[in-house]
Amino acid sequence: MPEDVRAALQGVIADLKRIPDVLAVSIVRRDGLPIVHSLPKAMNPKKIAAMAAAIVGTSEMAAVEMGQGDFIQSIVDSHGGKLLATGAGEEALLVTMVKEDANMGLVLLSVDRAVQTIAQLLDGDELLQTEAQT
Amino acid sequence: MSDVRPSEASRARTGIPVLDERLKGGFPRPSTLLFFSDKPTEKRLFAEHFAVEGAKAGEGALYVDFYRAPQLARRELGQFGHFAPDQITFVDAISSQLLMPSTEPYRVEDVGDLRGIIETVERAIEERRPSRVIVDSMEFLADRFPKEDVLREWRRLIDVAHRAGSVICFLFINWTYRDRDLQEIRQMSDFVVEFQSSMRGGIVRNTMRISEVGDGGVQTSWIPYTFKDFIGVTVYFPRILVTGPFNAGKSTVVRSLSEKAISIDRMGTTVAFDYGNVNVMGIEAELFGTPGQERFEFIFQIFAREVSGVLLVVDATRTEDFDRAKHMLELVGPRIPYVVLANKSDLPGALDPEAIARRMDLPAGTPVIPTVATASRGVRDALLVLAEMIIGVR
Amino acid sequence: MTDLWGQLEAVIEELSRVSDIQAAAVVRRDGLVITHTLPDGVDPKIVAAMTAAIVGTSEMATVQLSQGRFNRALVESDEGKLISTGAGEEALLVALLYKDANLGLVLMAMERAARQVDEILRRGTGR
Repeated sequence: MPEDVRAALQGVIADLKRIPDVLAVSIVRRDGLPIVHSLPKAMNPKKIAAMAAAIVGTSEMAAVEMGQGDFIQSIVDSHGGKLLATGAGEEALLVTMVKEDANMGLVLLSVDRAVQTIAQLLDGDELLQTEAQT
Repeated sequence: MSDVRPSEASRARTGIPVLDERLKGGFPRPSTLLFFSDKPTEKRLFAEHFAVEGAKAGEGALYVDFYRAPQLARRELGQFGHFAPDQITFVDAISSQLLMPSTEPYRVEDVGDLRGIIETVERAIEERRPSRVIVDSMEFLADRFPKEDVLREWRRLIDVAHRAGSVICFLFINWTYRDRDLQEIRQMSDFVVEFQSSMRGGIVRNTMRISEVGDGGVQTSWIPYTFKDFIGVTVYFPRILVTGPFNAGKSTVVRSLSEKAISIDRMGTTVAFDYGNVNVMGIEAELFGTPGQERFEFIFQIFAREVSGVLLVVDATRTEDFDRAKHMLELVGPRIPYVVLANKSDLPGALDPEAIARRMDLPAGTPVIPTVATASRGVRDALLVLAEMIIGVR
Repeated sequence: MTDLWGQLEAVIEELSRVSDIQAAAVVRRDGLVITHTLPDGVDPKIVAAMTAAIVGTSEMATVQLSQGRFNRALVESDEGKLISTGAGEEALLVALLYKDANLGLVLMAMERAARQVDEILRRGTGR
């Protein structure tokens, strides 16, 4: 991936992280490989990327199977916070971890903006092919 | 009912191909079957299925019912499929209990008269010469009459059925008899079909197993079954896992076997699972394909529970993935029957089954089936081989 | 055993009567159907497998991220929502919601239903 694109993606993450309610952010491929992230060292970016891909892939299929239209996002709600996963173009997902009582209005607006930026940066390019691993 | 007796060589099919295979075509004629459980189960379903199977084949059946009026029984038997009404004769043991008139040619006038009851059944067998006889069920008699009398009449019935060349099935749920008596009843029979029903996490699992009395005969494992309208009893595998290394062809296998399948995949790889439903040769199975990539192994923790069997799919041209394939078997757990599909067997460089078995160091006797999943070649065979393994080969 | 099933059906039917809930299902954590009120045209077996995948994976993600105990997973689409949650050790509860559903009411109803399902299953297996 060209350095300028990577830097731009990291910029998107940095912008999101400026919101105090946002704890961690990760941009991953829809096939479960991490691209860039800001997760604390204790967390495994590869596992999170794969799980996010599984959750979104399944949720998108669920929306189709149950006639609920187009998937928008998935929110995993737990005691310590929420985990949002949203499509960011054809090949990527944005995974955002927020605090328990986050101001969701602000978070969702920011996530919305972020995924559009990511999609523009990644879609239509051969960029992600170069990240291919098994 | 047909007057032509089926030839002694032909056997009484269950209509479930994997079972009939195991039975070399079906139950021999004549023979005595014991349909047994020690708790309430669905064994009557199987008896009804067996009666209707005979009727559908133009073989007459006699149904001795101590619990339902013939009209009701006939209606319920209709769920198993269509058959000519005169192919099943009932012995009506209810009408007299309810003090109602009966139009059935064979009816029990007095349920307090054991000899009378048995005489009626014997007469029906001798006059109608049915190919299959169902007695539903013996505990009705065991509850009302002394054990010695019941056992004696039981033996007489077996004799009469035997002379008429019939396959006679006795349903029996054991409330009161001791082990010794149960042993005696087993010894009077040629085959024992046992039924169990258990619940796991809110789901009822019905299983049955067939044992031939005596040494070295047929012996199946516990076979899960279910009932489908108009088809009747089918063997049912709630989960067959289709797994193997990345890109071996797992999703293709699931899709090729199923009428309708879904695959959750992105950018050329499965990210969650494949799911399909297959119904073939009297077997219904739910197929579950796992992702092949290591990063998705957590999926096994969710889905690799109550796995009936595994279709392990490998790319026959990629020996470097064989170790990974074996690792994935470990993720499923020990002692689960599996069959190896040597997929892409049409490609140059594809190893043959013997070579694959050697390279993978598979236990002796593990089936390795060459397949071309994209052309649906060999896939169904592999499933049937797995089904036979699960049911128990002997 | 059939009594247990009847009880579970009653819980699901009551849940489905909540006005914003279109349909609901109780499924086993490994993705097999227990009971449901899903409409024709929606395959309950597929819903069960997907619910198990979503909840199972979400629970594991929650552990990975040290986010404490998993509560529920919500899938938002432009024409409806899907909520799935645990219902005891063995089961999950999933509800299909109409678009613009009032989540507060729905979540309360689901929590109650999940507790009832858990209770019924525990009684049923004598635990």
